[in-house]
Amino acid sequence: MSRLEAKKPPLFISDPLTKDAVSQSLSLLNGIVKSCYGPAGRLKQLHNGVGGYVCTTSQSSAIFSRLSVSHPVIRVLTASVQNHVSRFSDCGLFTAILCCTLIENFKRLNLAPCTVIKISKHLLSLCMDYLRSEACGCRVSVDFSSLETLLCLVRSVLRSKPACMLNKPEVDHLTVLILKAFMFTVPCHVGTNAVLGKCVIVPVKGRRVVDSTVLPGLLIETPEIQLAEPLTVKRSCSDVIKMALFCVSMAGDLFNPEEGTITVHHGISLEKSELNHLLNVGKQLVNDEVGLVVCQKVIHPSLKQYLKENQVMALDRAGLSLMEPLSQMTGSKPIASIQLLSPSCYGSLKDVRVESFASKRFVHLIPNDAVVCSLILCNRNETAWDELKRACETAEHVLQLTVKEPLALVGGGCTETHLASYIRHKSCSLPTSSFKDLDCSRTQYQLVADGFCRSLESVACSLNHDDGEILTDMVYGHCWFVPSGFPSVSNWSDLVSTCGCGINGNTENLTWRLLQGQVGSPVIQGGPKEPSGKVADFLALDCFAAKCSGLQVALETANLILDLSYVIEDEN
Amino acid sequence: MAFRDVNARRHIGLQQLSSLALAGRTLLGPMKSYKFIVDESTNQSTLVCSAVRLIESLDLTSAAGQLLNETIQAQNKEFRTGISTLLFLVGAWSNAVLECLQQNVPISAIVSVMSEGLNSCCERVQCLQISIHDVNKELCSSSVRPNAFKSKTCQIGCDGPVNPQIFLYVQKDISAPEEVIPVNSRSHQEDDSNFNKCLLSPSSSFASIASLVKPAGNKSTSTIFGSGVIASSCNKQKLTHSRYFGTLGKSHFSSQQGSFQGCLSGPSADPCECYGLGHLAMALSHGNQTSVKLLQHIVAYQRERAECSGSFQFNIAGIVTCCLLGLPESYSCVSPGFVTLVSPEQATVIKYLEDKPLRILLVDGDLTEQYRHLGFNRPCNVRTILEHPSLPEGRADLWLSSMLDILIRFEVNLVLVKGNVCENLMERCIANSILVIGSVSRDVLRAFGEVTSAQPVTYLTQLNASCVGSGAQVGLWKACDGRAMDLGELLPVRIKVQGIPLLTAVLTTTVASKMQLIEDQFWTLACRLHHALHDEKVFLGGGAVELLCLSHIQMLAEQPLQPANKNAVRELHDPWLAASATEYTSVVLQALASGWKQYLSVVMCNSAQAASELEACTSVDHHLKKAAECGSPSAYILKEFRRGDLLRGGSGPFAGHGEGLKVYDNVTAKTEAWRRALDLVLLVLQTDAEIITGPKRNQLLNSHVSSEFMFL
Repeated sequence: MSRLEAKKPPLFISDPLTKDAVSQSLSLLNGIVKSCYGPAGRLKQLHNGVGGYVCTTSQSSAIFSRLSVSHPVIRVLTASVQNHVSRFSDCGLFTAILCCTLIENFKRLNLAPCTVIKISKHLLSLCMDYLRSEACGCRVSVDFSSLETLLCLVRSVLRSKPACMLNKPEVDHLTVLILKAFMFTVPCHVGTNAVLGKCVIVPVKGRRVVDSTVLPGLLIETPEIQLAEPLTVKRSCSDVIKMALFCVSMAGDLFNPEEGTITVHHGISLEKSELNHLLNVGKQLVNDEVGLVVCQKVIHPSLKQYLKENQVMALDRAGLSLMEPLSQMTGSKPIASIQLLSPSCYGSLKDVRVESFASKRFVHLIPNDAVVCSLILCNRNETAWDELKRACETAEHVLQLTVKEPLALVGGGCTETHLASYIRHKSCSLPTSSFKDLDCSRTQYQLVADGFCRSLESVACSLNHDDGEILTDMVYGHCWFVPSGFPSVSNWSDLVSTCGCGINGNTENLTWRLLQGQVGSPVIQGGPKEPSGKVADFLALDCFAAKCSGLQVALETANLILDLSYVIEDEN
Repeated sequence: MAFRDVNARRHIGLQQLSSLALAGRTLLGPMKSYKFIVDESTNQSTLVCSAVRLIESLDLTSAAGQLLNETIQAQNKEFRTGISTLLFLVGAWSNAVLECLQQNVPISAIVSVMSEGLNSCCERVQCLQISIHDVNKELCSSSVRPNAFKSKTCQIGCDGPVNPQIFLYVQKDISAPEEVIPVNSRSHQEDDSNFNKCLLSPSSSFASIASLVKPAGNKSTSTIFGSGVIASSCNKQKLTHSRYFGTLGKSHFSSQQGSFQGCLSGPSADPCECYGLGHLAMALSHGNQTSVKLLQHIVAYQRERAECSGSFQFNIAGIVTCCLLGLPESYSCVSPGFVTLVSPEQATVIKYLEDKPLRILLVDGDLTEQYRHLGFNRPCNVRTILEHPSLPEGRADLWLSSMLDILIRFEVNLVLVKGNVCENLMERCIANSILVIGSVSRDVLRAFGEVTSAQPVTYLTQLNASCVGSGAQVGLWKACDGRAMDLGELLPVRIKVQGIPLLTAVLTTTVASKMQLIEDQFWTLACRLHHALHDEKVFLGGGAVELLCLSHIQMLAEQPLQPANKNAVRELHDPWLAASATEYTSVVLQALASGWKQYLSVVMCNSAQAASELEACTSVDHHLKKAAECGSPSAYILKEFRRGDLLRGGSGPFAGHGEGLKVYDNVTAKTEAWRRALDLVLLVLQTDAEIITGPKRNQLLNSHVSSEFMFL
């Protein structure tokens, strides 16, 4: 007998943003992301509370992927941040902080959401136009013919992740490696459609960071290989190594366990027939003068033995992640069936060697011309290694994005404060007609613009985690930091040395104001200027594409959340 | 998600680290005290004498505990040494950092100054590195001094009874297991009463253990301990008389004894023949004699083998251990080839196979019918039908006899299997005089493969003539005096092949709980030697390096940093990190220094070179002062080290031996232990919140501690 239960009616929650639970969750989330921000950010230990792996991190990708959020409003926010991170890797925390702060600041204005949304969209377009214009004072163009700016970009990514536990020489070492790895992935001969290669990260945990290195080509871990043993690989007539790449299991099991039952007579062994089939494949490989067989999965020991006896090197368990770069590097097409073996699938390699790092042994596949490389990444323990891997991937991604758009934004809070002072200046000088277009009053516009600028400045302030003051100068609109322990009356020019990004030194007669706390912040006449000094060697730079996207995602998500009037929950 | 703020002024994570590390305090330095670890739920206890084993037995469910465990396992996997140093410094630095927090030092200042400080120290102490070549020259030349040595021995003989410090040291050994740590008590760090309650001291069992530390536990041998160290350190005749140079089957033990005595009494004018490594092992051993003796034999054997093949390299991969319970510790020795334990049934085959050249087969999987290679998925939807139901024998029997047929056809006498062996097959093989040994490690298989040219197979069906190797010999392993083994059910056998690059260190003891400990100690020393050769340099030991770090920090802290710093900040370029650092530099550097200072004083206390930590601290300060006065601290430390007076106060157990006993440390292992310890402390320090994910969240939501958490 089945029992029917009446369906519960869906739950309607009106004006979700006014609910205490939501604002509490929002401010908690804001607190978490703010505390993580920047090179002095605080770390979070993510774990399941019953022992086992502890992830220590300050990166948004790691935190958001593990957070389980119960409230739908917060879920909207985390989902858009995650989406941004999956596309750009960098500036996730920036996006999250800006979004949370925008919601909080706009909510406080007590204006109709539609007015706020309209005005803020206008503000965003002002920002984007400014950032994309030649006149933009907070961006730096990236010159790919010199290393300096590229190194700054990578270094900034690494330095902003304190859980990697790197000291200065280690940061420098890795910065160079990451750039080197990126250079390997740029093809030498560019046709009409250039495709960047791939950098595969090979984990060697427990070692010093300075033991990390980059090799062209790929490494396949082979615990059973002996170092002393010379490799005997058959070469074809043109002195290259012919290679076959299998993505199908060669373990000799019945690889098609579909539904239904196979009935066999006693004395007939499916295993044996399968093995015979594999050995036939082996025979063909030998006849085709293949020198190296790589299999994503397992190769049957008998087939391995047969290949070895015929001087064919067999490597199995390469893993799924290596398949694409392997095929890209060698030109071989992954063979998905052992029934048909077409000679056109074979690829070629220049050389094969045995390498060892720490206690691990690898076979090193060296291609004829490399767009694929391996970054052997070392760090002392598991949690720091994982953090470092995320940071390296972010840095590689930032470099790729920068190739497409060779620009960078100044970091260390300077872009945020500069943009804020630009918007403050711009919003004062808007013609009355624009307000008519936006269907709002000048006061309303000023209020929203102020909330927007404060949100941007609040992101810059999140870089500071100890007591101390954040300043902005009245010429460039950059961000400056005064350590704690000094009376607020002292002369600021005695206390600051460089601005957050490092482009401005304390050399001119600058004047400063406190970034937070003052109502009606003064406006820089004529807008903030572009620094005239030459680009220093140690600049903090941010990825242009990622930051622009972060700004857009944050504002649009904030607008979406502000616009929510009902949450309908299905409780069944 | 549950979210807990950990960063009050009293940082919870750092407190957890500090209390966990406290348990390892007495494991620091060359004189370690044993500990009993009692599991309250089962009442089982374990004897531990190393930080790794200690950590393995502790309750580490907290996040900081997990990270500590991870750090220690990483150091252990990489170096197998420096672990108690790491554990101790984690505790000391956690406390020091907590104190900085109390004084309102910003976290970013602590992080940047401490890590820069450690960096600077690691660079500074490079001047105390000595290349292996120089060490060997020094050690070997200083040890060939029979006359001086003899007089020293006499001196100890007379001094011994008068010198209370030596007795203190012996005493220390006897009262070794001084703490009992309950495993399952959740709050064992805080709950002192609970702690004391568990502190049991059955003196009889302690006495037996203590006496086993030095097999003949009477006063005279204990005082002679120091001279024993020297004796084996210049024990060159042992090598020429050892079994590897002589004929096999002789009574090795007596010959060793003889040479030992000879060295003690008679003058030996030969130049040192240990090729450096024997003495180096001694200097790295920090007083672990049994292992030194074994390693010296291993080095000699590998050396001799290398003379045929070319360059000599200490090969740690060619060493395995075999633990024999039931023989006194003095029976520990090194056997070329592979020694392992077999059942009495298997032993009957050995009698038959003894002294014959055997054909050997290597199997790198299990030897059972059901076994398939890794990655093979068994089909679940295959049904077998039988048309003629009158088969004479069962399927299993079919497999057994076909396997046996294969072995007989290829005339295999000996099968080494990496995994398990089917019992029925084992029986059939024994009946056919084939010796099958299971659970053999990959390295052993590899070594046999190398010399017998056997190719490892996964299935016996793969077998062809080229897979089978030849020339193996098997025999029952005999103790050095030919004493019959009564080890209960299992018997040790030895398998060897002419020229095999494999040595078995046979470790013996009569106390079951010490077995693990002895094995650990052996491997620790082997790894130290390996790493010293790999680094090609060693540190001066005995606290020299730590002392230089202290004096270096003292100098850094006193330096007027301000003027130079402007430039440094510019170069460092991270105003977010560097700005606040300058004014707190001296406080934070003192915190860093306190770690090493405590380290030195605890080592001195543990090894009874100082009666109290206060006395030890005074002694350290005294040296620091003299080093500063001297102008060049490193020169002062080097001089003191050469005199052998460093941190010994002239009255320690090693005192009086002068330059006869030099102590060295591994370079990378030591600096890495420091770095890992500091990294862990700083990682935890910078953590301000725990985020608990997964099902535990709901439990927390409903528990009484839910007020500590915030939920998203």
